[in-house]
Amino acid sequence: MSVVVGWLDEYFWGTVVVLKVFGLALIMAVIFGLIGSAAKLSKIRIARALANAYTIVFRGTPELLVILIIYFGSAVTITGIAQSFDPDIQFVDIPPLWAGALAIALVVGAYMTETFRGAFLGVDHGQIEAARALGISNFKTFFYVRVPQMWRLALPNFGNHMLSVMKDTALISVIGLEEILFVAEMATTVTLKPFTMYLVVALIYLAITTVITLAVAGLEKYANRHLESAR
Amino acid sequence: MNDDAKKPIIVLEKVSKFFGSFRALKDIDLAVNRRERIVVCGPSGSGKSTMIRCINRLEEHDSGRIMVDGVELTGDTKDIDAVRREVGMVFQSFNLFPHLSVIDNLMLAPRLVRNLPKPERRERAMHFLERVRIPEQADKWPSQLSGGQQQRVAIARALCMNPEIMLFDEPTSALDPEMISEVLDVMVDLAGEGMTMIVVTHEMGFARSVADKIVFMDAGEIVESAAPGPFFENPTNERTKLFLSQILSH
Amino acid sequence: MSFDVHLIIDSIPRMLEGLGLTLALLILSTIIGLVLAVGVLLMRISGRWFLAWPAMVYIYIFRGTPILVQIFIIYHGMPQFEFVRESILWPIFRDAFGCCVLALSLNAGAYVSEILRGGVLGVDQGLLEAGKALGLSTRQRFVYITTPIVIRLALPAYSNDFISMLKATALASTVTLMDMTGVARTIVAKTFAPYEIFIGAAIIYLVMTWFIQKAFGLFERHMSRYVKKET
Repeated sequence: MSVVVGWLDEYFWGTVVVLKVFGLALIMAVIFGLIGSAAKLSKIRIARALANAYTIVFRGTPELLVILIIYFGSAVTITGIAQSFDPDIQFVDIPPLWAGALAIALVVGAYMTETFRGAFLGVDHGQIEAARALGISNFKTFFYVRVPQMWRLALPNFGNHMLSVMKDTALISVIGLEEILFVAEMATTVTLKPFTMYLVVALIYLAITTVITLAVAGLEKYANRHLESAR
Repeated sequence: MNDDAKKPIIVLEKVSKFFGSFRALKDIDLAVNRRERIVVCGPSGSGKSTMIRCINRLEEHDSGRIMVDGVELTGDTKDIDAVRREVGMVFQSFNLFPHLSVIDNLMLAPRLVRNLPKPERRERAMHFLERVRIPEQADKWPSQLSGGQQQRVAIARALCMNPEIMLFDEPTSALDPEMISEVLDVMVDLAGEGMTMIVVTHEMGFARSVADKIVFMDAGEIVESAAPGPFFENPTNERTKLFLSQILSH
Repeated sequence: MSFDVHLIIDSIPRMLEGLGLTLALLILSTIIGLVLAVGVLLMRISGRWFLAWPAMVYIYIFRGTPILVQIFIIYHGMPQFEFVRESILWPIFRDAFGCCVLALSLNAGAYVSEILRGGVLGVDQGLLEAGKALGLSTRQRFVYITTPIVIRLALPAYSNDFISMLKATALASTVTLMDMTGVARTIVAKTFAPYEIFIGAAIIYLVMTWFIQKAFGLFERHMSRYVKKET
């Protein structure tokens, strides 16, 4: 285990990268999820069709493949554009961090769309009617009545989606992002102890997922506190 | 199994039961004779359900003795199995197996517990379905039947094991009013044929016409126990009088 | 940037060569995973701490770490140990296919056992009491009452997990296996046409997902045929 000590620095910065990707991807995924679920529940045919296509495509395609398409695809495109300006340019890419975060967000966002949609449907319709009767606009009703109620119903599944985002960050090492799995691969070539190096990666992920799980459990208790006292 | 027809078939001796620190049953003494029909009544939380659930070991009593047809109920699984074969139970929420048709519900236990061959199982099942007056529902799913029909199926299911004793835990409490009588009629028939029955219920009309003895429980104790006449006309205990005044004023 | 539709059509047959491996990975790990899941479930609900705790630790580890890390630990990491290299199991650990099946199976075992446990918790206690009252033994109650109902309750969640398994097989491409994604990556490396090739691969996955969902839908309807429809 002592061989790990020399690499603690790299592991630390790798973990920082993981957390950066996690934060980015999570925010984007939630945005995609909210837009997607709103579209699926809307009265506009095209919006529903587009949202359906989105969820079908991104829930049925392997995350790894999405990462590869976005990263290499965008690289080819951008390089092509750059080369039309300066033929000497060999390769331009979107930083793997952004490509990876976007890919994860698109995939998990599709799952979140379904979760949010179910949760929105679970909100007591009587509340919406009460808000309308009070004269509150549709837009305000969405943010002040629907979303707060929806969160409580979405929490358990949302926790799982958060864990998915966290674990998918490991996939971005495949396109060269210097997060902890990538660090472990590099370290292995020097230390020749792959098990040890990868074990550290596993432990770091386990630690982060444990924190997330506990946080979600706490949030669930908080969100349901008004129900406890009803007994 | 003890065959002495004179001795009580069920005996509870100083039976107590705790749920944590809450004492649900306090020193219950009860003797039930063969062919006797006992109605147990009382307010919510009085321990009536707990008491009869102890008789087929769905609940475990903490002290005292319970004897069923000569077998003492202890932790010994052989004894428990023997008792459960002879004691049938009907639940408030019917508890029919939703993934089996009506007739399969009836045939399951005779097949698994008594190893009865198929033709006999079927014959027995149809016999009891006719007894409860719904033979035409044999191949339906429980979810397709009304509440009253489902409860009658549940009664038939218990009868298919040819029990010596039938326990009823508030059999009509979950039914819409118009379906209560169809179930009570079946229970009256059963009583008329000599089945030993213990019925936990609020149906005082049934109690008055069918019961040999009415047992009133409150706060985990048997407060009063008498034949229907004396019980309804001359209750001796204050708590019994209070309960009767509440329940009979409708 | 040109979009060569012919390239998609030409490369799909080649990627279908990888389909065999994809399916092999999927089916093997599903079967082994299912067997494992039932075993772990029985341990988890046994009520005995020396059975339940190892089961819970196993589930915690395999749900809390990325599948890619699990694959790497088994494929790259295990050979670090001499006792592994010299054991009878070495042929499995030495071979990328064996390692992937092992990793995917262990993963499936953890997730599916939790799904089954959710189903077990959903079985109405009253039904088990009725079984007891009728004299059915513990084993008989589990086989004739609990199991059919658990299958019906767990099906929706299980179908999602099965599709996740399909997507996870793509990770085998990171350890040199030529599943569909592996073949796709090889072709892209030669043709520099990431959009066409990867989108072609995605189409194949989507078609498979569609079939799987239809099949599970039929099975779900069959298992639910006795359930009362909400009017």
